[in-house]
Amino acid sequence: MIVGLPDVGLVGLIATSYLISELDLEEIAHMDSDLLPPVVVLHKGQPHAPLRFYGNQNLIAVISELAVPAPAIYTVMREIVDWGETKKIKRIVSMGGIPAENRQAIKEPKVFGAASNQELLDMLTKKGVKIMKEGYMVGPQALSMRYSVNKNIPAIAILAQSFYNYPDPQSAAIALKELSKISNIKVDVSKLLEKGEEIRLKARDIMKRTQEEMTRMKKSQEYDLPLYV
Amino acid sequence: MSRKPRTNSIFDIIGEHMGGFYAFTDKLMEAAFSEGPGWNRETYCLQALSSVFVTQKEVVVTADLPNIEPETVKVEVADKTVEIIAKMKKKVQFSDLGIYHREGEFYSLHCQDRVQVAIDAEKMKISFTGGVLEVRFPRKKS
Repeated sequence: MIVGLPDVGLVGLIATSYLISELDLEEIAHMDSDLLPPVVVLHKGQPHAPLRFYGNQNLIAVISELAVPAPAIYTVMREIVDWGETKKIKRIVSMGGIPAENRQAIKEPKVFGAASNQELLDMLTKKGVKIMKEGYMVGPQALSMRYSVNKNIPAIAILAQSFYNYPDPQSAAIALKELSKISNIKVDVSKLLEKGEEIRLKARDIMKRTQEEMTRMKKSQEYDLPLYV
Repeated sequence: MSRKPRTNSIFDIIGEHMGGFYAFTDKLMEAAFSEGPGWNRETYCLQALSSVFVTQKEVVVTADLPNIEPETVKVEVADKTVEIIAKMKKKVQFSDLGIYHREGEFYSLHCQDRVQVAIDAEKMKISFTGGVLEVRFPRKKS
């Protein structure tokens, strides 16, 4: 199961939405909760829940076209993991960004991986994914990891260096390339890169609302240094 | 029989204060992130995302400016307000963004940020990389 909720640079959302579109995944479920704002999204005239699950026989992808309110993120992530468990998912991969304060100066963003157990960390290393060894994760990826561990579901986070509060399609493309190293999910990201400017224009509103929620959940703690002596 | 009024527990008192605190922080958030459309039909502008960073020596304003002509970027500073405007490579209509129930076309991206410290606007340095504008101002000693 791939999870791409709105977060830093909208990396996870852009990457997962592109994946859904390229793999032509069908909408299979949606989340309904009183904790989410009273919103439907119209596509081709049809109402859709903002937080939706797409999939085929081999893959489930989760996106939200709505910035998940900070107080709801616990319940939302717990339900996503629980629902995944009922579908007997083998692994959860959470896609996202790591805020890089000097992002303008970075031509090729680096991608880092985190995993819920040593076996997965070894696999990531073997496949050439750099490991995020120390640091804080805040928000959807953090809870995806936490709840997956509780359920004994293997969990990985793929995190690309990105702008904090500007949509970053380039980082999303690089995160997808990294995903292809550790899975059999291969997509050509050239269209994503070509549409980069259009995506950045269209994503301004959801980025703005996501920034509000990131501020509420103290996302900037990802810049902090952890202390474990 | 008279009943002694129930004394509020410490948790009730804290709860009351926290309720006020949350309302206050919500107000602050609303002020920081004003509601409203991300466009202005009268000025043909789309609102650009922007940020302000204040360091010990300088103030850095950045703006995400996709689809613009870099040579048209204008940065104006007046009364601690930094205003950035840039013309887009081609006009954008709502239909280009997949919206058909609104009408309007936009030629520029625009943003305006308030800076809380004194800056030296004459010494500003502008750079534009990967669609992101960065304007650096030395801080003025007040």
